[in-house]
Amino acid sequence: MTMHGGSRAALALVLLIGATQALAAQAAPRYQAPQVTDTARLKGPRQPIFFRHDIHAGQDQIPCMYCHYTVKVSTEPGIPSLQTCMGCHQLISGSTPPHQAEIAKVRKAWSDKQPPEWIRVHTLPGFVHFPHMRHIKALGDNACATCHGDIAHTTQVAQVQTLRMGWCIRCHVEKKVTRDCTVCHY
Amino acid sequence: MVDGMNRRRFLKVLGVTGGGAAVVAGCGIGPEPTEHLIPYLVQSEDEVPGVPTFYASTCRECAAGCGILVKTREGRAIKIEGNPASPINAGRLCARGQASLQGLYNPDRLTDPFAKDASGKLGKITWEDALGRLTGKVKDAKGKGIVFITGLEASSFGDLVDEWMKHVGGRHVTYEPFAFEALREGNRMAFGTAAIPSYDFASAKYILSFGADFMETWLSPVAFQHGFSSAHGFQSGRDAQMAKFVAVSPRMSLEGLNADEWIGVIPGSEGLLALAMAYVIQKSGGAPGDAGRLSDLLNRHRPALVADATGVDAQTIERLAKEFGGAKGGLAVAGGMAAQYPNGAEIVAAVNILNYVAGNVGKTVKFGAELAHGQAGSYRELTGLMADMTAGTVAVLITHGANPAYSVSGFTAAAGKVPFRVAFATMLDETASEADLVLPDLHPLEQWGDSRPRAGIFALQQPAMQPVQSNARGAGDVVASLAGKTGSFKDYVQGRWRAPKGQTWADAVQHGGSFGEAPSTSTRLGADAGKIFAGAPATAALAGGKEEYPVIVYPHYALYDGRGANKPWLQELPHPVSKIMWQSWVELHPDTAAKWAVENGDYLLIKTASGSTARVTVWVTPSIRPGVLGIPTGQGHATYGRYAEGRDVNAFDLLPAAANSYGGRTFTVMASVEVTRDHRYLATLEGDPREGGESIIELLTLGKAASLHAGQHPFEEQEVPTYTDSAEAGWAAAQREKTELGNYVTRPTRWAMAIDLSKCTGCSACVTACYAENNIATVGEELTRRRRFLPWMRIERYFNKSESGSVRAVTTPMLCQQCADAPCEPVCPVFAAYHTPDGLNGQVYNRCVGTRYCANNCPYKVRFFNWFNYAERGGDHEAWPTPLDWQLNPDVTVREKGVMEKCTFCVQRIRFAEHNARVEDRALKDGDIVPACAQGCPSDAIVFGDLNDPHSRVHALSEDPRGYHVLQDLNTKPGITYLARVIAGAEA
Amino acid sequence: MAQTAAPGTSGARVTYDYVTRVINNTLGNPSKGYFALLGVAVGLLTIGIICLLFILRYGLGLAGYSHPVYWAVFITCFVFWVGIAHSGTLISAILFLFRSAWRTAVYRVAEAMTVFAVMTAGLFPLIHIGRQWYFYWLVPYPNERGLWPNFKSPLIWDEFAIGTYFTVSTVFLIMGLIPDIAAVRDLATGWRKKLYALTSLGWRGTNEQWRHYSRGYLYLAGLATPLVLSVHSVVSWDFAMAQVPAWHETIFAPYFVAGAIYSGVAMVISLLVPIRKLFHLEEVVTISHFENLAKLCLLTGMIVGFAYATEYFIAWYSGPTPENKAFWYRAFGPFWWAGWTMNVCNWFLPWILWFKKVRTNLTALFVISIFVNIGMWFERFVIIAIHLAGEPFEPFVKAGYNPTWADWGIMAGSFGWFFMWFLLFVKNFPAVSISEVKEVLPPPVRHGKGAHA
Repeated sequence: MTMHGGSRAALALVLLIGATQALAAQAAPRYQAPQVTDTARLKGPRQPIFFRHDIHAGQDQIPCMYCHYTVKVSTEPGIPSLQTCMGCHQLISGSTPPHQAEIAKVRKAWSDKQPPEWIRVHTLPGFVHFPHMRHIKALGDNACATCHGDIAHTTQVAQVQTLRMGWCIRCHVEKKVTRDCTVCHY
Repeated sequence: MVDGMNRRRFLKVLGVTGGGAAVVAGCGIGPEPTEHLIPYLVQSEDEVPGVPTFYASTCRECAAGCGILVKTREGRAIKIEGNPASPINAGRLCARGQASLQGLYNPDRLTDPFAKDASGKLGKITWEDALGRLTGKVKDAKGKGIVFITGLEASSFGDLVDEWMKHVGGRHVTYEPFAFEALREGNRMAFGTAAIPSYDFASAKYILSFGADFMETWLSPVAFQHGFSSAHGFQSGRDAQMAKFVAVSPRMSLEGLNADEWIGVIPGSEGLLALAMAYVIQKSGGAPGDAGRLSDLLNRHRPALVADATGVDAQTIERLAKEFGGAKGGLAVAGGMAAQYPNGAEIVAAVNILNYVAGNVGKTVKFGAELAHGQAGSYRELTGLMADMTAGTVAVLITHGANPAYSVSGFTAAAGKVPFRVAFATMLDETASEADLVLPDLHPLEQWGDSRPRAGIFALQQPAMQPVQSNARGAGDVVASLAGKTGSFKDYVQGRWRAPKGQTWADAVQHGGSFGEAPSTSTRLGADAGKIFAGAPATAALAGGKEEYPVIVYPHYALYDGRGANKPWLQELPHPVSKIMWQSWVELHPDTAAKWAVENGDYLLIKTASGSTARVTVWVTPSIRPGVLGIPTGQGHATYGRYAEGRDVNAFDLLPAAANSYGGRTFTVMASVEVTRDHRYLATLEGDPREGGESIIELLTLGKAASLHAGQHPFEEQEVPTYTDSAEAGWAAAQREKTELGNYVTRPTRWAMAIDLSKCTGCSACVTACYAENNIATVGEELTRRRRFLPWMRIERYFNKSESGSVRAVTTPMLCQQCADAPCEPVCPVFAAYHTPDGLNGQVYNRCVGTRYCANNCPYKVRFFNWFNYAERGGDHEAWPTPLDWQLNPDVTVREKGVMEKCTFCVQRIRFAEHNARVEDRALKDGDIVPACAQGCPSDAIVFGDLNDPHSRVHALSEDPRGYHVLQDLNTKPGITYLARVIAGAEA
Repeated sequence: MAQTAAPGTSGARVTYDYVTRVINNTLGNPSKGYFALLGVAVGLLTIGIICLLFILRYGLGLAGYSHPVYWAVFITCFVFWVGIAHSGTLISAILFLFRSAWRTAVYRVAEAMTVFAVMTAGLFPLIHIGRQWYFYWLVPYPNERGLWPNFKSPLIWDEFAIGTYFTVSTVFLIMGLIPDIAAVRDLATGWRKKLYALTSLGWRGTNEQWRHYSRGYLYLAGLATPLVLSVHSVVSWDFAMAQVPAWHETIFAPYFVAGAIYSGVAMVISLLVPIRKLFHLEEVVTISHFENLAKLCLLTGMIVGFAYATEYFIAWYSGPTPENKAFWYRAFGPFWWAGWTMNVCNWFLPWILWFKKVRTNLTALFVISIFVNIGMWFERFVIIAIHLAGEPFEPFVKAGYNPTWADWGIMAGSFGWFFMWFLLFVKNFPAVSISEVKEVLPPPVRHGKGAHA
């Protein structure tokens, strides 16, 4: 029944996207994700599937938490399951040939039951425990950018912050929040 | 639950061990250059990454059938906790239950079906092939004798096997090395029913144990201990009271440690003592009318007459009898050693009579709600089977969940006569390694099943995760298909499950089963109750030749009948009594040791009349009767995985092969002893055995304890210079300021713990719980001998003499005291050990450089050092060879070599609760946080909470008059308050 | 003031020229024997390095530690070598301020010993920590994480004490060397000449230079003096600040300083006896020097003995306390032999130094000094390892302790390291101060009429 729940929500989303596009004419000019020709000069690792946050989160304005839905309740934001992708991409097969090619990969992965092996971009050492939900709670739903950069307008995800302890501390000092070691290290 | 992807992911992710600087992490975020994230294909709905999911199931480590909750993270079982819904264990769990995870993830588990080839070596085959052979053989053998041996299976699997055997004309033999035949026979003698009643320890007012190790392995240990500690634990208040506990047995078991009085009787004479007590009680009147029939039996056993035979003087017997009779609603249990003598059944009968005369039957001894153990096969059945096998009347032998080849020396030879032997097994144990066909079974945590441990209870078992060995198949499913069932074993179980009204299958599964109470039936004295002990004096059965000594073979608390030996947690769990790990030992009284001029670690060569021998190292202890020897079972496996193989002696080999008068097995043999001159160091937790534990453990007599009223503090004697107060006030204020920073706890807390020694039995379940929760490495025998172990929580056990000179044991858990003025903190040069604003002694592993100054300065010696890299892949001291590492708790850093580690009150659980509270915009409630040790404790001895919260349980307990702090004159201001142990009786 | 019987020389045969030649002879081409000794030292060092590599790879578990013996041979060696380092500054600085002339012949050896001993001691804290590659976390340096070391921790005090001591004593040694290097420079040839030319910093021995030099030396001496007392006091606080019974003692600072000087002087004797023989310095380093050293030994030895006595007394006097248990354990516990080795070697044996016969017999002195060194090593071993093993607070973890090959290997390595440097020094730089020995000689008079009578 996961399937149904997933795809129903997805369908609604698809319609919403359609509607926004329809309204685009009279609505204020909306962010248009660039056409990428030369992917070689993009920053960050090349992922098995050229997933574009700028199209999904920027252009189509899908909220981050539609896919990374555990980020508010868990320490882990969660990597969306392939089913989540398929929820939309059963219906959406892409506008331009390159896009269609990438979406084809998703569908193949789904039919082969071989999820893509994403290359990890943001990594913390094992002795650091970073509770995502606490930071979203404190900084609001759009706080993702604070650490991950303006993902919604990034074609390919790359690490923009050092994610080193000094960098964490700086923010904790500014925000006057705890700097106790055992909050992250245990 | 999980798809295959996850296992791959965890393998990869856990492959990350701390190269160079990084400390290895269970949660897999490691210094790997390119790390891959493999998403779910379909994510199950009850699965949130980073948040644990609990699955209710049933523990199958013994027949007690405790309910468990399997804690899973990202689809892996990482910890097992008791299921609060279960009426058996009420959310508690013993060490063995906790350790079943290491059976699941054991690196030596069977991966594929194996078959013996011509040369007699086991080779991989396919399932189709395997099942083909099996069905073929079974078809041919139809009528020629097919035998299916299982462990005690009061479950659908048992029924299924019965059905199948009936169908193919075979027979189903259940075999348990410790099968309680004497208990059943004794009940038949006394009450005319062979059922095993349920014993109500909780409501007993006086508890008398004749050898029954009811907190270790006897019947339903967790349930019994839970009941015992609620009765025996000291209840303060207006009518302050506790049930006195007297342990009668030649050697102190865990029960002996907790006894207010230990009576070290002559082996085999327990029954006489019971009858003598019964005599006294009957004399003083108040016995049920029909007890009159017993009078001539009892007259033959007046205290004066049995004093010599028992080695207990008449006055003591009189006194005990008066106390017991006067208690009105006491409970006497006979079992363990007492039920394993040649005259075990009679002893049980005698104790039944004692209960009956004292009017306890129906009150604390309840027939009706019978225990499943009554259905276990007897040892005689097995010896009978062995005879048949030798005679060649058995064509196919199938084994599951039983390992007779290990526990019965003659079995292998007999089974050799069987043309075709099949074994369902998760590990290649002695029985499986002899089989012609080995079928890899799923671990109980991976498959469906059920258990009916007690009348009225239908406990369900569900898979908590995908199989670790993808090519293993559940024995249930295999047998179901062989028995021609359509549908899976799950369907079979569901079919046998009878819904109590209002309960659906779904919530039965969710809650771990259907739990009802069977009505208790009234029981009268049996017809021939008076006939027992007609013949020779009881102890004659044990009389040996000259220079021969009784050797008591008893079940090891952790390894039990040997099935626990493949789990490092259990091997490295210090035995509650001897504190020895990884080794076998023989218990010897100091006098006997002096006579033979042996000391700890010397080897004895023990020879029985039947010619079997054992070389065992001596452990000298006052906890056993002079002239008696005690050896635990469990070690000495020929094959059973890397952790079990070739360790010392298999005590079963000493035992006589033949079944005894009541169809059981005799666990006491007469043996001669030869002193060898070899010696080795014992791998023991115990430092200096001469010490008595003063200043560590406080005792109170019941009278004194009862007279204490709130506000009194008999143990407060510390003289602290007044100037320290102001200093501490200021320091506390500074800490409080820090807590307000970001307010990650809603109010300045002081995490604290209260440990009630009148409840703590020293059973050590907390120790294993701690190992499981905190990724504590097991270091193996050699390093244990060199005292490199890392038990954050240890149970200290001291023997000290009471005023009357009788031996008494005292135990206490010792863990980081989370001092307010911690000696470890100021000396750390890098602030790795420091005081957290919420009142913990923080230990920052990744900051520690390993000067070990903190460990030197800690007076409690509860800090432990990583001398080697125990997480190193393939290292000499690797603690978690794959897939054992799948069990690692993702929320706790796996420590690297060269860092100090210690208990932090499960800080990860504290943070988890804080996170949730903050996300839900609420304050932390008392009880939100339960450390692993407190969670598992079968006797509710440990309470955790916030000392600054005036309404918390821990706050109340820390004010208790019995409260004291260990080494309080050092003014370390510990966060742990111990409540003095209370001794029921005249003297402490 | 008659200077004929000037200490440090025997009679008129010893002239400025003689001194220069004799001491210059200690330099020059080394003999086979020298190379043999150097070989032994380097060999030991190699063993130590191999053991260290094993420890870095597999962990400290290779050493004999147990629970609760978390400090043992390594820290023992650390304290031992720091102790050795003490006599140096004492003899050179304090005796200099006291103008005791006899020091002149021996202080150079003492100072060199000091510097190398500190170099050795300094290694042990690094070796003994669990994650050696993070040793720099003990050093205060600004970092983005805003983390600093814990200045409350005696280990951090140590770091500073040892650091300062090393710097000052090194400067002191080099400074004293300058005029002598210049002296040998003028006699040397080849690469040595270049080396000395460089290291003598253009010393020409003009009055100007001498005036500045002696002033500076005086000030440095003044600066160095307090260190003699401070360093080992701080080291002793590593233990005194902890609450382990038999560590937590107010007497520790003076007790350790005395002990340090004691062991230092003993080491000076152990080194000077063979050097005197090998380099034929009998004329310059005379019996009277040794006698003075022996007296110093006797004095400090008695202070140490007194400290031991005080410890036992307080332990007995304080009744049934952990302190009491601890000292019972030291005397009669499983490690009684270690306790008594330390008592005999440091406390009882030196009393025979009361006899002038012994004080003036080099063989006897040499033997005694060796025993004192052994004894002082055991003193530290007993205090550290044994009292941890017998820590009475928590009887349940009282345990034995057996050092392993790793402990002994590293310890041997430390001796190799020390003697390697020392041997290299005595062969390449004047081991006895030329200029200062000359100070106490009668100045040469023209027409060689000898000194004034």
